[in-house]
Amino acid sequence: MADPQLKAKVEELIAANPVLLFMKGTPEMPRCGFSMRVVQVLDQMDVEYGAIDVLPALQPLREVTAEISDWQTFPQLYVNGELVGGADIVEEMFASGELAEALGVEQPAEAPPAQAAPTQAPPLQIE
Amino acid sequence: MIETALPGAEVGVADETGAGDHLRATVRAAQFEGLSRIDQHRLVKAAVKERFEDGTIHALSVKTEVTG
Repeated sequence: MADPQLKAKVEELIAANPVLLFMKGTPEMPRCGFSMRVVQVLDQMDVEYGAIDVLPALQPLREVTAEISDWQTFPQLYVNGELVGGADIVEEMFASGELAEALGVEQPAEAPPAQAAPTQAPPLQIE
Repeated sequence: MIETALPGAEVGVADETGAGDHLRATVRAAQFEGLSRIDQHRLVKAAVKERFEDGTIHALSVKTEVTG
């Protein structure tokens, strides 16, 4: 069972920060590729976010998030108190524009389009 | 396992590293209709939970799509 004091603290943080990222490492120095991918997405959005390094208390925090959100892997992005997802979901929602919508911001102009046009090879010709 | 948990789902699994423990699963299922992405992923992860617990899988990337 999760430590009740830690759980209360985490719930408080999620409630106090509209956009909150639990990650391995810090936004300046991510310690895991998945965490880095979420930071890269958030840094393209015009949004302030809180970030918590889970590494100093990894196992206790896994137990807490398992109880709060039924999710034990990090990173975890919370928006308005709800778990949005980890790196896969965040990137997918970024590409589709759903993340900007959830965050209430404009989709950044340089964002890749959801469906990249396939590059068409010129037809082969037989002379 | 995913197909058992989500009957009718189309599941594709790719081995990311060649070692068989870092997998990428693409799951298309009608059961995802109306669910948020996180809930869709929860269904997939719940289906393979045992394999994580016994150490067969270390990492699983999931991509979900709703089928009509």
